[in-house]
Amino acid sequence: MIFGLLGVMNFAHGELYMLGAYAGIAVIGVTHSFWVALIAAPLLVAALGAVTEVATLRPLYRREPLYGLILTFGLALVFREGARQIWGGDMRRVLPPVTGSTPLLGMTYPNYRLFLLGASSALLLLIWLFFTRTRAGVLVRAAVQDAEMLDGLGVNVPRLFTLTFAGSAALAALAGLLLAPVFTVYPQMGVEMILLAFIVVILGGMGSMGGSVVAALVIGTAQSLFSLWMNPQRVAIAIFAIMIVVLIVRPRGFFGREGVLE
Amino acid sequence: MKRIASAVVLTTVAALAVVAAPAVSQPKVVKIGDLGSKVGVFEGYGKYQTMGIQMAVEELNAKGGVLGHRIEILSEDDETKPAPAVRKAEKLILQDDVKLLVGVVSSGATMAVMDVTKKHKTIHWNSVSCAEFMRTTKFHKYYFSNQPDSRMQANGLAKYIVDKMGKRVYIFYTDYAMGQSDGRQFKTALEKLGGEVVGVAGAPLDTKDFSPWFGAINQAAPEVLFLAFAGTDSLRLMTQLHSFGMTRKYKLAGIDCFLLQQDLPSIAEPMEGFVQLNHFSAYNPDKSMQAFNAKFRKRFGVDANIAAGAYDAVHFWAAAVEKAASFDPDRVAEAHEGMCREETHIGRQCIRKEDHQVVMDMHLYQVKGGKNIPIARIAGTDSIGEPMVGRDPVEGFSWEIKKKN
Repeated sequence: MIFGLLGVMNFAHGELYMLGAYAGIAVIGVTHSFWVALIAAPLLVAALGAVTEVATLRPLYRREPLYGLILTFGLALVFREGARQIWGGDMRRVLPPVTGSTPLLGMTYPNYRLFLLGASSALLLLIWLFFTRTRAGVLVRAAVQDAEMLDGLGVNVPRLFTLTFAGSAALAALAGLLLAPVFTVYPQMGVEMILLAFIVVILGGMGSMGGSVVAALVIGTAQSLFSLWMNPQRVAIAIFAIMIVVLIVRPRGFFGREGVLE
Repeated sequence: MKRIASAVVLTTVAALAVVAAPAVSQPKVVKIGDLGSKVGVFEGYGKYQTMGIQMAVEELNAKGGVLGHRIEILSEDDETKPAPAVRKAEKLILQDDVKLLVGVVSSGATMAVMDVTKKHKTIHWNSVSCAEFMRTTKFHKYYFSNQPDSRMQANGLAKYIVDKMGKRVYIFYTDYAMGQSDGRQFKTALEKLGGEVVGVAGAPLDTKDFSPWFGAINQAAPEVLFLAFAGTDSLRLMTQLHSFGMTRKYKLAGIDCFLLQQDLPSIAEPMEGFVQLNHFSAYNPDKSMQAFNAKFRKRFGVDANIAAGAYDAVHFWAAAVEKAASFDPDRVAEAHEGMCREETHIGRQCIRKEDHQVVMDMHLYQVKGGKNIPIARIAGTDSIGEPMVGRDPVEGFSWEIKKKN
């Protein structure tokens, strides 16, 4: 959505994911509640996202896409090293709010992972409803199609840009905190996640939300199934192989729109 | 005109003399290099290595330094990768002219740095890495280690596991130099003692999700799960094993550097009952460890851990320099051989002449309530094994699983 709307490939998205986890730890430290943190941390990171968009990205919208790419790459470094300065480099652990495990298909499966399954499905549904059933969602989609036309119709497009960027930052932060009990928290965590996220986005088709969902399902299922037949270490190779094959057959990914990358 | 020129010259000379005077009166300086992980999976070890070096240098400088030279530390980050480690080691040696290099943390990077210290004849101490090649095929005369290597650790752990924990063992290791080495040596030692390896698997360094490996472990149905991981990998692995109910299902044991004491309280529940080999614990009643820990705690406000070997490395080097009465690497290296020190972080330690390995006692600890509590002591002479300089320590080794009926 950020790429479609702002024309910026946001390399700092992983760091917003990381900041969400750290903000969550800070909120949990004060409130002792994971659930409160799940609301507060995305709001805090959304505020940071809004400030970042206004202060750094906005002046670059009329320039070459390369400027935005370099800027977000720089922002990623600033956020990562900033986190290291503030919280240190040590890994931190967030206790899962849902404990225990459930026997499932012959194995013991952690309840928190089941919760994640439900939470991410609900979140996807909410995002889809937002874009299809709300005026704000329709405006964002319209801006992706033609921002100038929307501006001409009297919509405050710069504010829409800011809110969209803040919204995407909030979603990244939410993901960071939700995954913190599984993967732990450390300054580098965003870098590692962003690569997988880019594979998903490219495979799904740039600018296509449905494509990303399908790509995520394909990659997740492939990862799990391949792990049964081969050393899980080699699964990463299989994932890249899938990406290469799909991009050869469908250069724009599963549902990529014509002209997005051109 | 001549008078003006003379005045200018005199003024310049006087000014230069004033500027140069403090430099002349300053004490001579000798630099040492602290190369280690400052970020990433082994960051914790790198941080404590630096603290150990710092404490030793402060003590030495308070007594006049070494050979009348004040010691200065230069710290560099190796990013836990061989290529940057080599680059930084060359920078420290060629540009900064360090006379001692302490580091690095990752075994793969240490082996790469060993080529540099060999080429440039620089005294090299390693206090954390444990791959078996460093005192065998990669060994050189300027290299010293006071970290128990994989062979020492395997000899110490395997017997306890077979005697007290169970004979059917699954080996799960981090798939790079250290983990492979620990896995190999442990498999060899266990099979020699009549134990059965029911499965082996390696996960890449810095793996985020270990769950894809859990199916194979459960299928093999071991009694004991032997884990050769370190740093943030260990923390993540234990969290995930616990969430899948596997910390209660199997008995767990791990290597020396599996987790630093500082990390244990945050992961106390998953780690409960875990048997870990360690040469140092702040909870060991041993007098030498307690004395060192008190000193460390006073200086830094935190307990020491296994990375305190870096403290002893600097003291060993300084003693060798004093003995050799020179910074010449050949003479300093020779002065090290056979040297013993009484006041190390674990008491008396001696450097074996043949492979420059410090002969050190190790302890087995069991985690109880987030603390490493000692349960057995293993004499260094029992675990160190014969010197194998130049010999391939993995000759004839196979990862093949030998099925027992």
